[in-house]
Amino acid sequence: MASHIGVVPPPMTPAKGNEPKTAEKIDYLNLPCPIPYEEIHREALMSLKPELFEGMRFDFTKGLNQKFSLSHSVFMGPMEVPSQASETIKIPTAHYEFGANFLDPKLMLFGRILTDGRLNARVKCDLTDNLILKANSQLTSEPHMSHGMVNFDYKGKDFRIQFQLGNGALFGASYIQSVTPHLSLGSEVFWAGQHRKSGIGLAARYNTDKMVATGQVASTGMVALSYVQKVSEKVSLASDFMYNYMSRDVTASFGYDYVLRQCRLRGKIDSNGCTAAFLEERLNMGLNFILSAEIDHWKKDYKFGFGLTVGE
Amino acid sequence: MASQSRKGGKNRSGEEGVLARVTSTITQSSIVQRGKVVASDAAFVTKKLLKSTGKAAWIAGTTFLILVVPLIIEMDREQQMNELEMQQASLLGTPSVAPQK
Repeated sequence: MASHIGVVPPPMTPAKGNEPKTAEKIDYLNLPCPIPYEEIHREALMSLKPELFEGMRFDFTKGLNQKFSLSHSVFMGPMEVPSQASETIKIPTAHYEFGANFLDPKLMLFGRILTDGRLNARVKCDLTDNLILKANSQLTSEPHMSHGMVNFDYKGKDFRIQFQLGNGALFGASYIQSVTPHLSLGSEVFWAGQHRKSGIGLAARYNTDKMVATGQVASTGMVALSYVQKVSEKVSLASDFMYNYMSRDVTASFGYDYVLRQCRLRGKIDSNGCTAAFLEERLNMGLNFILSAEIDHWKKDYKFGFGLTVGE
Repeated sequence: MASQSRKGGKNRSGEEGVLARVTSTITQSSIVQRGKVVASDAAFVTKKLLKSTGKAAWIAGTTFLILVVPLIIEMDREQQMNELEMQQASLLGTPSVAPQK
């Protein structure tokens, strides 16, 4: 009998002669708060989509204060440029990124600027206990490529509502509700004014202590199912199935995630003939060594990267 | 002239020798023709099989190298560290035993 989060014995006392049930009754008035809608595939994404990169990466984070920290980051390596031909063109680029973070229990500010002129900024502010404001913007020197987005999240007792406003007349709303202590259902709608597209989506998530299963359907033609099983406290296995019924595109992938004391190793294999591995090894206190490898047997594209992360 | 140098003599010029007749009957018989076709097919299939086995072995080998080898290395290191810790715990954890230098 695994512990059930949020289960409370029934409020009424049993009548004399009736023995209370040995199985715990679910108190439907006391369900836990669900995961936010955009994080519904969180466990599967963490295992199956690590930040693979090609080239060399170096990150240095220096904390000046308890709340304030600066970060310097250097990246050198080939970047893929999307081109009309089927061959992807790789151009060696190098850039330096400077960033500053401010972390408060109620306010989080995050900014990054790159040498090629791009600026990323993120704000997360707890307006009240239940209302969270999030804003996110990316500015570039190229015209018409900048975008920004604002989210308002309201966290209820066992539901969450989110409204989203973006530039280019992008509106979105999502709602997710806990139905039982393990199951939560949600839906979202969005409308993109610039592309004159709108869509509706539904999602469901079932989780226990040992596994998480999620399913998501969207009117853009995407069906995504995922299943993550926690085999032990160090190992978890994940699998993911994505089907696009408009473009008849199917992808299935399997992966593992080992969290050991000195390292974290994630590996995955795909039905597109693509296998990848990502290793983060702790060399010393605050010093992490990263290795990333991705082999695409179909397109014969091999990408390997290494890097170092310094700082807490 | 050529017939005179051939073994199994008693050849008259203009007539084929016994050996030549025997070998030509053998090589033109249907069973030998069939054998040749089968041999060339078998060679073709074997070449294709070797090539595709080679390709499959390459794909399996590189995938194993990327997915499994780091895992083995890390699990081995973890096990070594655990053994070291257990050794140290057994050395320091029991106060009745005098610590060995």
